[in-house]
Amino acid sequence: MQSLQLDHITKKFPGVTALDDIVVSFLPGEIHAVAGENGAGKSTMMNILTGNLQPDSGEILLNGNKLVIKNPRDAFEYGIAIVHQHLSLVDSLSIAENIYANRQPHNRFGIIRFGELYKKTTVLLHELGLDELDPATPVTKLSAANRQMVEIAKALAQNPSILILDEPTASLTEKETAILFTILHRLRKQGTAIIYISHRLDEIFRLSDRVTILKDGKYQGTFATKDIAKDELIRRMVGREIKALKSQSTASTEIMLDVKNISGPRFKNISFQVYRGEIVGLAGLIGAGRTEIARTIFGADRLESGEIVLRNKKLDAHHPREAIANGIAYVPEERKSLGLFPDMSVADNIVSADLTLAAGGKFYNHSKARQTALRSRDQLGITSKGVEKKVTNLSGGNQQKVVLARWLLTRPDVLIVDEPTHGIDVGAKYEIYGILKDLAKEGKSILMISSDLPELIGLCDRILVIRKGIVAGEIARPDFSEEKIMSLAAN
Amino acid sequence: MLKKIIEDRVYSLLVLLTVVVVTAAFVFPATFPTFENFRQILLNLSIDTIVAVGMMILLVSGAFDLSVGSVVAFTGCLTAYLMHFYGIPVPVAITLGLTSALVVGFVNGYLIAYMGINPMIQTLAMMGIVRGFALMVSGSGIQNLPYWFNAIGQSKLLGIQMPVWYMLLTVGIFTFLLNKVVAFRQFYYIGGNERAADLSGIRVKRVKMAGFIISAMLAGLAGILLSSRLGAALPTMGRGLELRVITAVILGGASLSGGLGKIPGALLGALFMGIIANIMVISRISGYWQEIILGVILIGTLWLDKYLQKRYSGST
Repeated sequence: MQSLQLDHITKKFPGVTALDDIVVSFLPGEIHAVAGENGAGKSTMMNILTGNLQPDSGEILLNGNKLVIKNPRDAFEYGIAIVHQHLSLVDSLSIAENIYANRQPHNRFGIIRFGELYKKTTVLLHELGLDELDPATPVTKLSAANRQMVEIAKALAQNPSILILDEPTASLTEKETAILFTILHRLRKQGTAIIYISHRLDEIFRLSDRVTILKDGKYQGTFATKDIAKDELIRRMVGREIKALKSQSTASTEIMLDVKNISGPRFKNISFQVYRGEIVGLAGLIGAGRTEIARTIFGADRLESGEIVLRNKKLDAHHPREAIANGIAYVPEERKSLGLFPDMSVADNIVSADLTLAAGGKFYNHSKARQTALRSRDQLGITSKGVEKKVTNLSGGNQQKVVLARWLLTRPDVLIVDEPTHGIDVGAKYEIYGILKDLAKEGKSILMISSDLPELIGLCDRILVIRKGIVAGEIARPDFSEEKIMSLAAN
Repeated sequence: MLKKIIEDRVYSLLVLLTVVVVTAAFVFPATFPTFENFRQILLNLSIDTIVAVGMMILLVSGAFDLSVGSVVAFTGCLTAYLMHFYGIPVPVAITLGLTSALVVGFVNGYLIAYMGINPMIQTLAMMGIVRGFALMVSGSGIQNLPYWFNAIGQSKLLGIQMPVWYMLLTVGIFTFLLNKVVAFRQFYYIGGNERAADLSGIRVKRVKMAGFIISAMLAGLAGILLSSRLGAALPTMGRGLELRVITAVILGGASLSGGLGKIPGALLGALFMGIIANIMVISRISGYWQEIILGVILIGTLWLDKYLQKRYSGST
């Protein structure tokens, strides 16, 4: 039975205090949620607990004894385990070798006992309801959900007395989430201290005993979860009431994009229309084929059969270049790896979609590019002093706005956005919603893929639910509900 | 089984080698499939393969070392220099020679792992520095090495020259280590995903540095064997060896991005190159063609690999 205490922890980065004099205790046998926007200091706190960062001042106490956690190794020794957001897996190695990374069962000559390794892994996978997985399978072959489960298994294999989970359900389906929650309840009973970090407020209320709120690195209080209302929690996280998302439909009767019976490797016979000025949502579980549909429309994946008609003209895009020329833009899901050039400046990123257009002709005109970037910055409200700094120095929300700005410069008629608010804070989310609504009002058609159901319900005119590569159903605005979407998506 | 052959380069290369060897045996029944010819092929590739084992470890960990060819020359020359000019006993000279290789590996590893210098640039610079030292100690070359020193590389066991046995021993030992031993498995974690390895509690920097030290030590061993076999130490030994070895290791299944490859792959890659070169000599193809054909084979193998992976990975 171990309790962990942060005692006046402060951590500063150049220009920002990430954690400001934080005092909080995590008790054995409780599930303690940590809530806050991105940039509130949650990940800094975690990084300090796992030895990736050192606090500038303050102490970490385990049962009242001071701990020095210099690196992830030390954290292991003290019984602190962390479930990362699929960060800590090595793709080319097997499930078993990942779960027991650096702790493989071995004899006294350091020779690994592979039999025992696989047997222990099988037991663990069984506990997690993953009996169908072979411990020798390389992680690269697993689905996103199963990878996350392996990540969880890796933490559990350490028999931690303190377990930290960072957005563990982001890529899990309902079924796996339920298994995870059952396991967490059991660990709580056994006296493990569980620290649960999540953007999903529903989960915080469903699961946790207490919740600690952080905002801009400052402690906003710890509450018994049953005593705090959702609105109150949000108010403390963002410091202002969030206005409800309700948009008037701006859809016209003119068909902009007509997708006729298209098929690809991961989806079959998909048909739908998007009208001018309309926002259509694509709901579904991760891996249902939504991203693949979007990529096919964009010409990034090959169309096997069917046709795509844009403004009454057949679109035959074999490469994104042709789709862009015809007025389609696609904002991909993985912002960092697919949407940005992380080592380049904000300006370079904004003008990258169309260099000739943004920078005035065949020869690159630096001052014109800069002006274009500055204009986009002001239009979309990107918080950045100047546009010369590296794009990675912006917050997640501002990075996403940079990606949007870049695609809007191509003047698209159809904008496809894939998980546009994934991993960005509540305030920035609402700004992105505002931008999307304005674009629809201007007459652009928007196809929005999202796993955030309230967001789809708030923003879309229609929602298509994709299940295992087919259209499982279409829901009109008056009938929107999370239950309805989920029942179509899961099954 | 088919899946295994496609996915594991060690198996696909074995199949390919068998096809090549059987074909060559039919086409050149008098000259190719003889004990003498195979003994010669193995002897010719023994030095390269010992270096390739170290290179494979580095590529698994996501790095590579261009200075190995120079280390081969320098270690051989330094050992010869100590014995020839100072009369230092053979075992002591060899120990000092290997120590010098260790120092080179340590400097490479320390600067790359701890100071964050790019491996390509660090080892490229070291390649020049060490070659310079080799020239400095040996001048135009050192001959008349002690009898016992020459015996290391020139004697035979079961009719096969010793370097071949050293090569097989090295391959055997490191195959076991990289497959089964905790400390060596870490190379796969680091090459597969360095950040993930760090979060798993692996001492990434230390292990990376160890990779460079092992690679340099094996190059040192190869240098000593080579000068012993030649009965002389030349400052030009091992020129171009680094690229040959990297080619063999990539053929053997390593990837420049790390995390992939097995030690037997290093041997098979070198063997494949050795046999192709041998067949070309037997069939009297000009030396110019050899380089061209080897380059084409390397690209062809990687292309075929990509093609097969793409074609068959959809079914899993």
